[in-house]
Amino acid sequence: MKKLIAGALLLGASTVTFAQPGCGLGAMVWKGQSGPAAHILAATTNGTFGNQTFGMTTGTLGCDTNESVQSMALYMDSNADKIARDMSRGEGENLETLAVLLGVEQGDRESFRALMKDNFAAIFPSADTTSGQAVDAIVALLEQHESLSKYVAA
Amino acid sequence: MAHFPFPPHKYLTYMPLLLRQLLLAAAAATSLNAQALTQSELQELASSREWLNLGHYHPNTFSDGYTSQADDSDFFLSPNGKTSPEAELRATINAVQQPGGGNDHPACRFPARDQWIRSKLDLATPESRQCPAYEEWTETLNTQTVTLVFAASYLNSPSSMFGHTFLRLDPPSDDETTDLLLANTISYAADAAAHDSELLFAYKGIFGGYPGITTVQPYYEKIRLYSDIEHRDLWEYQLNLTPAEVRQMLAHAWEIKDRNFDYYFFDENCAYRLLALIDVARPGTNLLDEVSTHAIPSDTVRWVVKKSLISEVGYRPSAATAVSYALDELPEDQQALAAELANDDIKPGAIAGKLPSTAQQAAVLDATYEYVRYQSEAEEWPREQVAPLSHSLLLARSQLPQTSTPPSPPEPEVRDDQGHDTFRASLSAGRWGERNFNELTLRSAYHDVLDPPAGYRAGAQLQFFRLDARRYTDNNELQIEKLTAVEIRSLSPRNQFFSPLSWQVGFGARRSDTGTDRVLAPYLEGGAGGSVRVSPNGQAFALATADLELDDDLNRGYDIAPGVDLGVLYQSDRLSALGGIRSKAWIVSSQHRQDQAYLKATMHWSRLVSGFAEWTREHHFDRYQSLWKLGLHIYL
Repeated sequence: MKKLIAGALLLGASTVTFAQPGCGLGAMVWKGQSGPAAHILAATTNGTFGNQTFGMTTGTLGCDTNESVQSMALYMDSNADKIARDMSRGEGENLETLAVLLGVEQGDRESFRALMKDNFAAIFPSADTTSGQAVDAIVALLEQHESLSKYVAA
Repeated sequence: MAHFPFPPHKYLTYMPLLLRQLLLAAAAATSLNAQALTQSELQELASSREWLNLGHYHPNTFSDGYTSQADDSDFFLSPNGKTSPEAELRATINAVQQPGGGNDHPACRFPARDQWIRSKLDLATPESRQCPAYEEWTETLNTQTVTLVFAASYLNSPSSMFGHTFLRLDPPSDDETTDLLLANTISYAADAAAHDSELLFAYKGIFGGYPGITTVQPYYEKIRLYSDIEHRDLWEYQLNLTPAEVRQMLAHAWEIKDRNFDYYFFDENCAYRLLALIDVARPGTNLLDEVSTHAIPSDTVRWVVKKSLISEVGYRPSAATAVSYALDELPEDQQALAAELANDDIKPGAIAGKLPSTAQQAAVLDATYEYVRYQSEAEEWPREQVAPLSHSLLLARSQLPQTSTPPSPPEPEVRDDQGHDTFRASLSAGRWGERNFNELTLRSAYHDVLDPPAGYRAGAQLQFFRLDARRYTDNNELQIEKLTAVEIRSLSPRNQFFSPLSWQVGFGARRSDTGTDRVLAPYLEGGAGGSVRVSPNGQAFALATADLELDDDLNRGYDIAPGVDLGVLYQSDRLSALGGIRSKAWIVSSQHRQDQAYLKATMHWSRLVSGFAEWTREHHFDRYQSLWKLGLHIYL
């Protein structure tokens, strides 16, 4: 099942070029904006502007990690600000999606949510944290956790 | 599976091989033999609705025969395929029977055609082909049900009233790893070149010129685009397709996935191609028959509802809707705190001293974060400002205990597709100066601020292709009073958090007073200003306006008028009213000021019928004149 989800994510991302392989990269969590004019026009005529809407770069994809971590990194890249929000609250659909991608079972979800909330400052140490750095921090936290470490075993 | 009312061949692929062969043998008795197919049998199949749908064939307007809307030679197996359903069917029947398999085999490129032909004909070769790419694709999509998603229009952008639709492919719901954010979507959009200017983009989008492409993307990407960036609420209409129908839809989506269908804003648009997919999935639905001159996405949703294709409806408020609601839910003193936090006047750490309960602190921090994110998208707050603020808000929030779920906006009582129909016919009787008249108004679309507001955004107006024709009773003279090509108006109240611009733009032709005559003159008008809420259903606005009129009866051939429009708009389910004063200073040709006081009101009796009254008192060319009007609107 995990494999299937990773496949689905990659299928969706297949139009995007993976320009920056390697660890610890990825997009800024709190990005700047490109301007509303293009969006309004695109909305009016129901068109798309090439790849402009998919400003996605990849974080840990080049790393030696397991497949579920890779799909989590990919999801983090385009949703980091919402995941950060959910983590600060300890709940939310984007945090659930992250748990799904990591394959965290229902029984472990509560401790997963709590771990993310309690360690928010470690996952996002500064305003310039990138999604790749956040993923690395999440993996490190899970690895040290008694019952959650199994989800990030390589 | 027996409870699905479909012929057994639809289930063949789900059944063990032995059972399948038995059924095939039984079916062969009723199927036509492909080898012995007569010309008339072929013609009959080629003109069947299912085949025409699969080939996207439509009757020619000016001659007999059919033409496919596909603009891509790879979509056809016959060189004459674009214009001959019959040649294409013959070529397809031959092609799918060729031995072998693999991704390039015609049966693998056209699995929906293959499936349909096999349901009609007894083919010599059995259905045992390996299509690795197609099989991997369907397995990855892992689809159990299909949901039609409608992106509603958003505040302060009436042009988005056109809406947008796409399909979401939902995984089985009993699966613990199901996650709808990761579900894939299929959409059809104009593939604009990134280097085209915005003007060219608008032109080509409307009049054609861009290739239309079908794309597959995860739902979370769509949410980012529509909900976070464009501030559009999403309505999710789950379709009641059977597993076999879902399979056929995906098979056909595979066939058109990388094929070009030229994109036209008004008819062959995003919504249109999705209707075609649904028609293929469930033969006999014939949704495309509903399309006349234009396919407005919200209208297409109405058709899908009308054809009983919906099992469930969900609502996903946009980031903008959510943040407005979260801020509204805060008591006034906490709203003030949120504004101070957002302006960086106080630090998140300081609110602990100002609010006693951690639940209140959490609510303020949550709402402020959403607001800051919204402003960074909508108002382009710079990253240097937004990133540290966002980070400090979340850091403070993470140190508070987990509280109850933040309030989420309730689903609107009336969905967009449940609002009044968009075509409007109006009949009225009135008096202009000393002359009585009857007036007929036809508007092809879409919504006027005085129409019933339920299901539409408050203060938003978009009308196009509207004709106002008058018959004066004294001499039976018939006159075009006004032709509106496009008229957009957006009145959007400002408050301490949001400061949207209220604006309007329109063009067409209208009667213009030259002092001695009323002539039909092309016009262009625009305006911008602001609005404030004065009651839950009312807003007061002030706009600076500019008008341009062209006519050879004007002594310089054109005239320009700067002006102002001050008014109050009230909108409720029973009554809508608009009143105010307007002044235009015509400065080029006539050099007269045109001052008006106006009051218009509409009583909403039902979704079908409204009654309206209108009064205008005008001072122009040193004389006073009044307009009275009383009539009915009918929404069709």
